[in-house]
Amino acid sequence: MSQPTPRIHPLIYEAQDQLRRGRITRREFMRYATLLGASVATASALAACAQPTAPAQEGAAPAEGGGAAAPAQEAAPASVQRGGTLRKAMQLQRIDHPARMSWVEAANVVRQVAEYLTLTGPDNITRPYLLERWEASDDVQTWTLYLRKGITFNNGQELTADDVIFTIGQWLDPDVGSSMLGLISYWGGMENVEKVDDYTIRLHLQSPNIAVPEHLFHYPAVILPRTFEGDFIKQPVGTGAFTLAEYAEGERAVLKARPDYWQTGVDGQPLPYLDEIIYVSIDKDAAVAAIQAGQIDSIYQPRPSDYLALKDVPGISVYSVGTAQTFVLRVRVDLEPWDDNRVRTALKKCQDREKILQLSYFGEGLVGIDAHVSPVHPEYCEQPIPAYDPEGARALLEEYAAEKGIELPLRVTLATKNDEAEPEIAQALKELAEPAGFDITLDITEPSGYWDRWTEVDLGITAWTHRPLGIMVLPLAYIADEEGKPVPWNETRWVDEEFTQKLREAERTLDLEARREIMCDIEAIMQERGPIGISYWKNVWNITRSEFQNVVAHPTSYDLLYEIWKEA
Amino acid sequence: MAVAQPTVDPARRRPSRLQRLWAGLALVFQSRVGTIGLAMVLFWVVVALISLVWTPYPPNASLFEQNLPPNGTNWLGTDHLGRDLLSRLMTGTQVILLKTRLPNGLVLPIGVAIWGVLGSLVLGTVLGLNAGYRGGWWDQTIMQVLDALIAFPRIVLYLVVIAALGQGDWVVILAITVTGAPGVARLVRSLALDIKTRDFIRAAETRGESPWYIMFVEILPNARGPLIVDAMLRVGYAIFAIGTLGFLGIGLPPPDPDWGSMVNDARRFIYANPLAVVWPSLAIASLVVGLNLFADGLREETTRYQK
Repeated sequence: MSQPTPRIHPLIYEAQDQLRRGRITRREFMRYATLLGASVATASALAACAQPTAPAQEGAAPAEGGGAAAPAQEAAPASVQRGGTLRKAMQLQRIDHPARMSWVEAANVVRQVAEYLTLTGPDNITRPYLLERWEASDDVQTWTLYLRKGITFNNGQELTADDVIFTIGQWLDPDVGSSMLGLISYWGGMENVEKVDDYTIRLHLQSPNIAVPEHLFHYPAVILPRTFEGDFIKQPVGTGAFTLAEYAEGERAVLKARPDYWQTGVDGQPLPYLDEIIYVSIDKDAAVAAIQAGQIDSIYQPRPSDYLALKDVPGISVYSVGTAQTFVLRVRVDLEPWDDNRVRTALKKCQDREKILQLSYFGEGLVGIDAHVSPVHPEYCEQPIPAYDPEGARALLEEYAAEKGIELPLRVTLATKNDEAEPEIAQALKELAEPAGFDITLDITEPSGYWDRWTEVDLGITAWTHRPLGIMVLPLAYIADEEGKPVPWNETRWVDEEFTQKLREAERTLDLEARREIMCDIEAIMQERGPIGISYWKNVWNITRSEFQNVVAHPTSYDLLYEIWKEA
Repeated sequence: MAVAQPTVDPARRRPSRLQRLWAGLALVFQSRVGTIGLAMVLFWVVVALISLVWTPYPPNASLFEQNLPPNGTNWLGTDHLGRDLLSRLMTGTQVILLKTRLPNGLVLPIGVAIWGVLGSLVLGTVLGLNAGYRGGWWDQTIMQVLDALIAFPRIVLYLVVIAALGQGDWVVILAITVTGAPGVARLVRSLALDIKTRDFIRAAETRGESPWYIMFVEILPNARGPLIVDAMLRVGYAIFAIGTLGFLGIGLPPPDPDWGSMVNDARRFIYANPLAVVWPSLAIASLVVGLNLFADGLREETTRYQK
């Protein structure tokens, strides 16, 4: 019986044509093609057939990790060395059910043992992983997932559709309490998940969504065996390249290489290259000293101060990648004075973006526009960066003050948390906004103190994490629900009919060019009357000792360690 | 005709306040230790006064490169936001010694640390005197409550006070007062227990003096030596407390500098710019040492004639 030829989504050919004409970059094409179900090999072949006649605009590409979907093993030199231990400093929280994980740190341990159906790489491209490929229907409402064959769990059991169905059932079970439940609510429940055969699953979505592959890489979404009983530490079974030898919460985790992993390295032997990974749960300041002393090899999610301390230390390498992580300066538009767009615009004009980036993040990021879409997002529409304009801001404030019969300066309180870079952004903004007529009092509390009230404060700086697509965060924070009430994470209470309409249109638009055009409108609306200011999109770093090769920084600080090897 | 002249000038009979102050200070000057201490404290007072009218650069303005080492322009270097450390160190003295910012833009003379210590002294003294002198259920009740307060971790107490009242200089004063008063009360109680057995207390009681008179006029002046030394130490604790509160994000709101917050801010960048931690730490240490030496000298001289 012959294998059916994989069907290529018609829009991929359109994208190929756009690549040929230089309207999109190869990276964007790869992302788009793999998103629509083409394998990396197929997408690469199609891209090779579409050599652009004119150079593509690279403006939207991230600062780091750009380029096509080039898995590390393609780029790795043939002379990899096997063996060795990677010791990494990272907090180790309690782990029980992986679907319930709420920390990336926990997921970083679990992801070495259990794996995902897809993988969003450091280049922000999502690829099939445990899946061989996926196919989306033309209306993007039916997705067919084709599992790779011959993959075994570390208990010897073969991975089949039953395991995937079981895991999806765990995500959708309210008793498990997985964050996946809300994320994939558009699937419409288990009745819309169909097992076609032992290696094929079909999703009949309740509403169209183009982010299914990205959602399958959400960090709690590891695939578990159908025999899983609810505690991963007692039953650490997965398809990953390592096995969990020891896990002591708050102390250490030890992972040992598995000899029969399904992926092979450049030397033809099964991955991983390393023998062992040890996570140690130590404080970050201690970790900085430990890596300098050679007691550990890597640090999880270094802070700007760690970057500054270690960037020039011999024997330590810093890998940097642009992200969609940012610090959002946001106002409550249902409260005075922020209900007046002139005041909002005045505040936005007070951002000297380059200066704020330099002062709070040592220049390690990309300056932003006042719309929650990052330059690393594929559909980002490039716009001029607004200039620092205290005079313009003052004129707007004076107009507002005259109308309200109040005197400048306008006294406001800016709340945020004493964390990564927020106090520095707040202090810089206070100084920058003073000539415009703002008198900002800072209300900086410890992180949990801010998270307790982040949706309630009038004016605040909130950290938002990376999401691979531009359309993923906007519905979380800038729209209303069906009853017309702002959605739970709409911290600004800003609801704009035109914006919502455009966003819904973008969410249904597969064509990247067309989606980018819509995104131009969305960005323009947010800049013109939106509730947020974004000075910059931060880089994240992976700081690891230089003897380790193939190290990459991931925008969400995910540890992808299988292909790291240690130089003897 | 001879006119009898008064032999004593009535104006000279009572020394003026200034003269009395000078006499008090002269007592300190008799102690070398006290003189050194006073000089160190006065140095910071002078720095604070100068900073009211002049600092090399605006203390909150990010005018320079970040984390610079000491150089010709920035004598102590710059911090992680590119602000001149000398200017911030000078301005930071104000919050400790000279001024307290109240809501609505009002400013109270004398710094947060001093008000905090004064608050704990007043509260602790009242409670300690009552417990020590009156004894009985007064002692039981007051000391049980204070023991309960002492048993609380100090940071939890800070958090409770500030969570209940919000941020601001006066809340920090209150937090220092509440956490400092039990220690002062225990000290005062132990002194009162000793002093109340003396004959002059019996004499006062025989005269029919009220308990408040005995406590504040008879006992307290005789307990002042250890109390002054304790108070000087407490100013140091208070400065550290401000820093701890700053670290928890519940202290004095940025960007106006105070030494404790400067240490905490710079601590994050200690590997890149260790001197930014050293300067405010040295300032705190020198002021605390100065206050202690001053207190020691004062105690030494005031108790010399009692022996």
